[in-house]
Amino acid sequence: MFLWIILALILVSITIYFFQILALRKKLSESYNSTFLPPVSIIKPLKGIDDNLFDNLESFCKQDYPEYEIIFSLQDVNDPAYRIAEKIKNKYPHLVRIILDGSQRALNPKVKNMITAYRNSKYDYFLISDSNVYVGKDYLRKTVSCMTENTGLITNLIVGVSGRSIGAKLENLQLNSFVILATCFLDKFLKMPCSIGKSMLMRKKDFEEIGGFDAIKDILAEDYMLGKLMHEKGKGVVLSNYMVKNVNEYWSLSRFLNRHTRWAKIRWKIGGIKYFTEPLSNPLFLSSLTFFVDNFSIMSLKVFLMTLLLKISFDFYTSRLIKSPLNISVLLIPIKDLITALIWFVPFISCRLSWRGNIYKIGKDTIIIPNNNLSSVRIIFNKLKTAFNH
Amino acid sequence: MLLCDFHIHTKYSDGSIELRKVVDIFGQAGFDVIAITDHVVNGDSLIGKFAHRFRFTITHKNFNEYMENIKYEAQRAWNKYEMLVIPGVEISKNYLSSEKSAHILILDIKDFIPACESYENIFLEAKKQDALIIACHPHHMRGEIRNTLYLWNNRDIYGKYIDAWEIANRDDVFNVVSLKKYPYIANSDFHKPRHLYSWKTLLNCEKDIISIKRCIKHNKGVAITLFRG
Repeated sequence: MFLWIILALILVSITIYFFQILALRKKLSESYNSTFLPPVSIIKPLKGIDDNLFDNLESFCKQDYPEYEIIFSLQDVNDPAYRIAEKIKNKYPHLVRIILDGSQRALNPKVKNMITAYRNSKYDYFLISDSNVYVGKDYLRKTVSCMTENTGLITNLIVGVSGRSIGAKLENLQLNSFVILATCFLDKFLKMPCSIGKSMLMRKKDFEEIGGFDAIKDILAEDYMLGKLMHEKGKGVVLSNYMVKNVNEYWSLSRFLNRHTRWAKIRWKIGGIKYFTEPLSNPLFLSSLTFFVDNFSIMSLKVFLMTLLLKISFDFYTSRLIKSPLNISVLLIPIKDLITALIWFVPFISCRLSWRGNIYKIGKDTIIIPNNNLSSVRIIFNKLKTAFNH
Repeated sequence: MLLCDFHIHTKYSDGSIELRKVVDIFGQAGFDVIAITDHVVNGDSLIGKFAHRFRFTITHKNFNEYMENIKYEAQRAWNKYEMLVIPGVEISKNYLSSEKSAHILILDIKDFIPACESYENIFLEAKKQDALIIACHPHHMRGEIRNTLYLWNNRDIYGKYIDAWEIANRDDVFNVVSLKKYPYIANSDFHKPRHLYSWKTLLNCEKDIISIKRCIKHNKGVAITLFRG
């Protein structure tokens, strides 16, 4: 009985995976022909060193676009990214400004970084872009071309590139399969607003109408919230098919685990009951369950191997669609899928997460619970623990 | 202040990354000055013979190619990152006994210096080339079975030749260098990408080789920092 249920789930999972690839194909075939090219302020919040940071930042200075400015926003000069920002500014003084803001007006560190930069930005259109993103010369032109009167927010697809270490290879595999496919599926078939913080273009007018930074300052998944608020306001959230590159070269395994544990916790707090449908996008994990249900029989091995073959073929095809070759990484697909399946359970155990050197606890819709509350809870817990030990 | 790392290995010896990529890792992280210092290992001991057998060393044969490639990368690094790349080697006198072993950084080297020469000859040759002499990891290191203690134990004899001592190497800090008030620098002893996050030197001087050497020798405007990305 259980075996049949699992086999049925595997079939559903493979069908969903097929439709996700279809969604990606549809997305990539879209074209936008707008010639509307308004001046844009690009705000790049920086904290710490990312792989390829210099080239990432410089790629924004080489845009084939008539009028734009770039603002690097940091907390203080002691941030290691400041040196790089300064070097880029010296190279492109007419384009780049650096704004430091050490104020504590938001619990979300990325938002906190951007408030002053936003106020100082010159143009009516602004683009928030993460520091770990590398783009081609046509990025801004193609992204802006998706803007229409009814569009509130434009976001982009992400692909992982340049993996050299095991952690980075796993990271890129996950970005180039689960993340990109799920994003396209939500956008094309479920028509759900799906905004990705790596790249978000908005009009200031629309942004302020939904509450501006005040609406997102204490939300960890500020990108999701912006998309949601725009959607509720009746403004479109458009997923551009221009793929920005997330350069991950030397990630450690623990960094990969940390990021996907954090993202899983965020998805759990955002999605609630919908989070339980996620394993359906991991057919390999479902097929591994047959081992336990069917006592490691030959049949369960056959099911697992067939699913593995199918999954590798799908991922291989996806990698060709997004022009990011798999190479030797193909061997890591089953490991990655099984690791991410285990990560899926973590949000049920803990809601604490670590991001760029800070520890957070999050509530519903990823509202950040301040650290002092966290420490007081910890103090009470420790006191109770000591009392019971005595 | 210039962010510097003067102790970096590449695939020319026992580093895990090729020269070009190493230069890019430091350039992308915003460094101002780096020195490429692959090992030149003595061939007169068992460990040395092993290094020569498996090509974990710069030799007389490939030294010119090594220098040419560093020169090319230095030009590229300057144009792209405004980062100064200094050619150097780490003369590695390796023996089974920690008391007999020593490693010496020769920065701004011009000609090959064999590691099997006597200490005195190595120092005099380096001085002749107007290179900077740094005693590296001169004291006990955490978790290391084989240390390089010879120069520290014989500092009364060789101290006069040494321009600076490594006060910190990757995660280790040698407080004895501080107690003796010797000129100091701190380096990563970079072999793998994760070694980027380690002790570094900050120099308050102009970004040119003469000023940098003077700054280190005179030990004025030198600070160390734990680079954590």
